[in-house]
Amino acid sequence: MPAGTAAVAGVPPLARPAPARWRGWLGRLAPHLVLWPPLLVSVLHVVSFTAYTTWISFTPSTLLPEYDWVGVQNYVSVLNSRNWKIAYSNLVIYGCGFVLLTTALGLLLAVLIDQRIRAENLFRTIFLYPMAVSFVVTGTVWAWLLNPGIGIQHLVRGFGWAGFRFDWLVDREMAIYTIVIAGAWQASGFAMALFLAGIRSVDADLYRAAQIDGAGPWRIYRRVVLPCIGPIFIAVLVILLQFAIKTFDLVRALTGGGPGLATQLPTLVVYDLMFQRGLLGRGAAAAVMLLLSLLVVLLPYFAYARWRKRREARHG
Amino acid sequence: MAEAKAAALAPGARNPLGRGVVYAVLAVFAVFYLAPLVVVVLNSVRTAQDIGATSVIGWPRELAFDNFSRAWGSYCIAQTCAGIAPYMWNSFLLVVPATIISTLLGALNGYSVALWRFRGDNWVFGLVTLGVFLPEQMKLIPWVLVLRELGLTNSISGLVLIHVVQGISFTTLFCRNYYVAIPAELLKAARIDGAGYFRIFWRIVLPLSPPILIVTVIWQFTHIWNEFLYGVTFTSGPQQPVTAALIALSVSVSEAPQYGVQSAAVLLAALPTLLVYLFGGKYFLRGLTAGAVK
Amino acid sequence: MFTIDRRGLMAGAASLLAAPHLARAQGSVKPRLTLISQWSAGSDGAAITALGRVFEQEGGVWQHSPVPGFTTEMMNKLRADILAGNPPAASQLKGPEIAAWSRIAPTVDLTEEVKAAGYEEVVAPDLAKLHKPQGKWIALPLQIYRTNTLFVSSKAMARVGATELPTTWEAFNALAGKMQAEGITPVANGGIRWDDGMKFEIALAGISPAAYRKAIMELDDDALRGPEVLAAFQQLRRFANWMDPAVAGQHYSVFLPRFIKGEMGMLMMGGWAQGVIRHNGFDAGDYMIGQAPVDNGKPAFVLNADAFIFWRSKEPDLQAGQKLFAKLVMSKRVQEMYSKTTGSIPVRTDMDLSGEGWSEGQREAARSLNESVKANQAVLSLAHNMAQSNQLTAAMIDVLTEYVHNKAVTPEQGRQRLAEAVESAR
Repeated sequence: MPAGTAAVAGVPPLARPAPARWRGWLGRLAPHLVLWPPLLVSVLHVVSFTAYTTWISFTPSTLLPEYDWVGVQNYVSVLNSRNWKIAYSNLVIYGCGFVLLTTALGLLLAVLIDQRIRAENLFRTIFLYPMAVSFVVTGTVWAWLLNPGIGIQHLVRGFGWAGFRFDWLVDREMAIYTIVIAGAWQASGFAMALFLAGIRSVDADLYRAAQIDGAGPWRIYRRVVLPCIGPIFIAVLVILLQFAIKTFDLVRALTGGGPGLATQLPTLVVYDLMFQRGLLGRGAAAAVMLLLSLLVVLLPYFAYARWRKRREARHG
Repeated sequence: MAEAKAAALAPGARNPLGRGVVYAVLAVFAVFYLAPLVVVVLNSVRTAQDIGATSVIGWPRELAFDNFSRAWGSYCIAQTCAGIAPYMWNSFLLVVPATIISTLLGALNGYSVALWRFRGDNWVFGLVTLGVFLPEQMKLIPWVLVLRELGLTNSISGLVLIHVVQGISFTTLFCRNYYVAIPAELLKAARIDGAGYFRIFWRIVLPLSPPILIVTVIWQFTHIWNEFLYGVTFTSGPQQPVTAALIALSVSVSEAPQYGVQSAAVLLAALPTLLVYLFGGKYFLRGLTAGAVK
Repeated sequence: MFTIDRRGLMAGAASLLAAPHLARAQGSVKPRLTLISQWSAGSDGAAITALGRVFEQEGGVWQHSPVPGFTTEMMNKLRADILAGNPPAASQLKGPEIAAWSRIAPTVDLTEEVKAAGYEEVVAPDLAKLHKPQGKWIALPLQIYRTNTLFVSSKAMARVGATELPTTWEAFNALAGKMQAEGITPVANGGIRWDDGMKFEIALAGISPAAYRKAIMELDDDALRGPEVLAAFQQLRRFANWMDPAVAGQHYSVFLPRFIKGEMGMLMMGGWAQGVIRHNGFDAGDYMIGQAPVDNGKPAFVLNADAFIFWRSKEPDLQAGQKLFAKLVMSKRVQEMYSKTTGSIPVRTDMDLSGEGWSEGQREAARSLNESVKANQAVLSLAHNMAQSNQLTAAMIDVLTEYVHNKAVTPEQGRQRLAEAVESAR
């Protein structure tokens, strides 16, 4: 990286007061001393850990890393396993359901809380607290609540509604949606906080202008607020996507991957292969495939961001 | 200005029904969000016999408040009968430095990437962002090797290092997305005045940051506080963080579950994060009403 | 980058061999033991704490680091310590994993100590084999549980007018049918992985211990595709139909209250469930306990045992600690204390359980172990990682747990999938 010129690439060079030569040099160097180390550590950690896992995925490693080469053998055996197929299709269902539901809930709650309500702090804390409690614990409690024999179904029937049914947790087809519910319950408060921060930082003049135009609250949200909080949407989506892909403790505590194999997710398969079955190589192959599938989502986004930037540059 | 916005968004002033609907919907959601907490709170004052003999969901037959004192100071975890108190302290030693360092570095990174543009900044940002997607399970072995090379196995400093390095990805992402919205004119003006990297950060960016820093701190604090896998693998015995102690109370194949004491312990262990939310929320609001981003 | 690998570890460890008598050279050192286990709470925690106290009374320094939670987390800790070149003096490990892990780091040869204690003669042969993978003792079993134990709710029995535990699967099925007719859920088991695997192993071991040995322990393909395995799948389907659908994903203990109330009839669970039931405030009169059905009328014992593996160390105090610890683990005194605390039975088959502090369930299980060993009907548990390596076990339990929860899979398909899973995992 050409450090000397890098800092000013985005902003046209500007006139500076001329200090002593060495001070100017130091002044230009100092930002780089602060700017680069954390960025480099962060990038290095991502690149080297990913490279290491990729390497291990081509080795016969079992309990400990070994460094012989076995080609794509691990990939073949993971791709052929039932566990992986189920886990992968589950990830698609869960990922989409979770991201959509959580975003919708987060936005709805943020808008409601933005209505200058009383006890705002209380409500906000209620919606945020699920993030505060260990996932292992909340997963266990949701397993009770969603269990038809002891939880919601049992309680509602106890109130006299004998025909009430809510047994998704033990239904092989529906169990994955209970993970969506519990996941959304956990993460939507955080989405709400981000949206709320976005909504409140919208310029008040814009509101006033819209109000003078006679726009109602709904119209103001749609036409003024939503376009302004575009970057927040991106942030929320990225956060939720990583949450979805990394979901692990929740499933382990809520369903343990069951009934049967019905709620397996790739992270569970990775952990199971690496540490339960003692097949580091195969687990690494599963992890690499998980990351590759992530690129399928991220690359179009980066391409879009680039395209938009170019277009702006051309028009701007 | 804030008043103008509030006036625009207060339908209740004209339409009491709308206001009622808002509260009704919020209340329904509040019940849904609180349900699991209610179960834990109820269990925290039930005896193990009560829970074991009836159901894990139910009203207490008798109030066993001593669950809390036992969980805090005398329950036997891992051969020491001192409750979760010492583990709480370990978690603080871990969470406070890791949160502060990773938040500060994230703010600097976000500022560098978003405002102090350099060649390849998008690539760097892309790679840093990729970091938030790496599953913990995958990184466990590499971290074992790194900590061994650094001689930090079995230490809290090792855990701090892990959480700082991994946390930078998140904090950079948060801050960068927030700082991107700061108008370029503001910086241009500052540069014309001769302000450099640090001065702009200190005088312009940081004062605009409280809302995002609060979000970042909340995120980092709760994640590190609740993290379990690394905590168990990289520390042992009396050095373990509180999540390890909590799981010690949980059910195993051959053990009778201790849901009463466990629930009390869970509530005690969640207090710091809950407090962060309560007070964080307040400052969050204060930061916003103080002007925030114009 | 990082240069350590398995061979490197072995080589490094081999250099330690050069100074095995350091301890003696330095004269008397205070024995010290570093130990990793997952026993941190409840009766398991109490038992290991008591063992530590005995160790300290004998002049040792006890440094136990429990790794709470799932077994995998304990293994991660062990792996991290081995990679860091600093394994504990001893760690909890069981079944064929002892052999697997002994290949990645050097262990201690305990053959001399075992011989001195006369331990080999009093340990069930199949169990002994697991602890000396290369012909040398490197690990010591500590306690045994029988997984094929049948608990029957007294209230449920009273409601159907039955008084005797069923001893064959036919009798079991008849009793379950009666219970179902009375509106009782016949099977009170949970629905998580290991529980599903356990129900299968109990069925197969009861149908034919010999077929169990061939199919599950020796992975004989003919036996895996044989009629006994099919019969076990059919029995497993019956269990599944007799379970409350709500148990999917739940630990069995969640349903104990309903079991005691007589809303559920029969629980097939290891002996440890006695302690759990007692802890929930119920007493021995609330249930009947005995061996799960065995069709050939002789006792059969599906064995689950906990053990410690000993990792080689160069520090003389740790070496002395390992010797002391081995002596204690093998002693009658420690085994009695340990089993009385946890509700297991001792590994030693030469102990007298008639004294105070033993339960009737423990006495019956210990008797059954002795007789099962004589009749060659003591087999190793699949669901509790005693019969096969973790890799094979997990592959097999995948099939079993899916079979239990997916009733569209026929017994024939189940049998075929099991055989295929074994084939592809080997």
